[in-house]
Amino acid sequence: MSLCFAPCPRCQAEEQPAGGGFVPSDMLLSPQQSYSGSILQPACSPAAPSQLGYVDGFDEEPPLLEELGINFEHIWQKTLTVLNPMKPADGSIMNETDLTGPMVFCLALGATLLMAGKVHFGYVYGMSAIGCLAMHALLNLMSSQGVSHGCVASVLGYCLLPMVLLSSAAVLFSLQGTPGTVLALFIIGWCSLSASKIFTSALAMEGQQLLIAYPCALLYGLFALLTVF
Amino acid sequence: MGRLRGQHAGGAGAAAGPGRAGPGRAGVDTVCAPAQGGGSAVIDMENMDDTSGSSFEDMGEMHQRMKEEEEEEAEGEAGAGEEEDGEFLGMKGLRGQLGRQVADQMWQVGKRQASRAFSLYANIDILRPYFDVEPVQVRARLLESMIPVKMINFPQKIAGELYGPLMLVFTLVAILLHGMKTSDTIIREGTLMGTAIGTCFGYWLGVSSFMYFLAYLCNAQITMVQMLSLLGYGLFGHCITLFVTYNIHFHSLFYIFWLVVGGLSTLRMVAVLVSRTVGHTQRLILCGTLAALHMLFLLYLHFAYHKVVEGILDTLEGPNVPPFQRVARDIPVVSNAVLNTTAKAIALTL
Repeated sequence: MSLCFAPCPRCQAEEQPAGGGFVPSDMLLSPQQSYSGSILQPACSPAAPSQLGYVDGFDEEPPLLEELGINFEHIWQKTLTVLNPMKPADGSIMNETDLTGPMVFCLALGATLLMAGKVHFGYVYGMSAIGCLAMHALLNLMSSQGVSHGCVASVLGYCLLPMVLLSSAAVLFSLQGTPGTVLALFIIGWCSLSASKIFTSALAMEGQQLLIAYPCALLYGLFALLTVF
Repeated sequence: MGRLRGQHAGGAGAAAGPGRAGPGRAGVDTVCAPAQGGGSAVIDMENMDDTSGSSFEDMGEMHQRMKEEEEEEAEGEAGAGEEEDGEFLGMKGLRGQLGRQVADQMWQVGKRQASRAFSLYANIDILRPYFDVEPVQVRARLLESMIPVKMINFPQKIAGELYGPLMLVFTLVAILLHGMKTSDTIIREGTLMGTAIGTCFGYWLGVSSFMYFLAYLCNAQITMVQMLSLLGYGLFGHCITLFVTYNIHFHSLFYIFWLVVGGLSTLRMVAVLVSRTVGHTQRLILCGTLAALHMLFLLYLHFAYHKVVEGILDTLEGPNVPPFQRVARDIPVVSNAVLNTTAKAIALTL
């Protein structure tokens, strides 16, 4: 996946229709046209208005989503990266501190649990917060270069997506039998493999993927316990 | 200490301030000339209000309040803010200015000291070398923890590593949680997660510390990290046993696993400790204690959560035991008379 490290989204701003909506089809990758704005950086504020100081006039304001740094196309690309644990990941993924996608996935997990009759939003929130803190501490201890809380939260949040699939399955049939256990184990393996793949590629810890996958598996196992029981 | 040198409060005065701020107010006898024009170096503590914030804890609050009040003033509520400030903090006018400076400096110094202490003691980098492992090493150590050593005549090597033990403790927590969930255990005071984490970490840290203390008394050659590592890897047997017996419910199977698997890991730990201790009595004390605690812990983990499982299985598969029913008892006439007599006797005495 080609990445544009130029922080200038001017071309992106020009392509925007006046209403501020994103047009995903315009953002498709082509070898000649590089991504405007790095996929891994949340869209930074447009260069032009910031040079003028604060914008005056409604028409010159940047679109709301751009100002908030929410880029649906980038989120989608990152999701696809996470969903395929076999594809080698790019090392620069650790630069991301985008929490919108993870937030959406956590809410989706809570919503699917709600559909199964369990109101566990608080548990999801608490477990993800404590899990992020614990993984951050462990990764800082195990790697030579440090990580920030935002990166850990972002990666763990994106890799929570398969768990949303498990909890949607829980809506349709009970997971407390053998097939449910097998499915849960498979999903846990999928989540932890994705997360450990991203962490090891970004922190240059090649031989230690299993060592990072295991704590991730424990964390996602907790989520699976929440979903199954 | 009755005087505070406001202008030089940045150095020694402020450093001594937090320590003496408390009693400083109590024994003030000196009366100094009141400050004029904001340039005086002396504050008259006697004339200050009780709320003049002489304790260190109040300094922080004052600092925060001052910041907030400054912001309020900036928004045009100057008159009311200053009045409130003056009355509430008990400092009036120019003395208030000086008091603020002193408080501010004391707060800064205190904050600096606290952050220095924090960065010194809460630095997790000191644990970094204990997490530097390869997967092959961890696997080898896991397998070794089940094999008792035969050479107890010279000290056996213990890997001072914390990754394996920490992961084993977390695995035990997960197995306990899974067991509690499948057996529908209800914890009334607390949460399932809290109980599981408290039990496992409490055992690991508590028994390690206790054994380290005993080892110190018995003159054994072992450090705290080595003890943590040894006991942590000893939990591997517990994990295996509980994982199997929480899913397959046979008492005899559990006892076999308890003796064989639990016994092997205990033997390994005991052998390593024996190799590092001199003297029969000391060896006996150390190894007896460790063996007892380790085996009893496995027994406890099994029975604390197993009873509930057994109970459910009995009701599901065992002989039909009807639920407890309340049946009205026929009280015969004789006892009725006795009751009435007794009631009358009690009424008379009252």
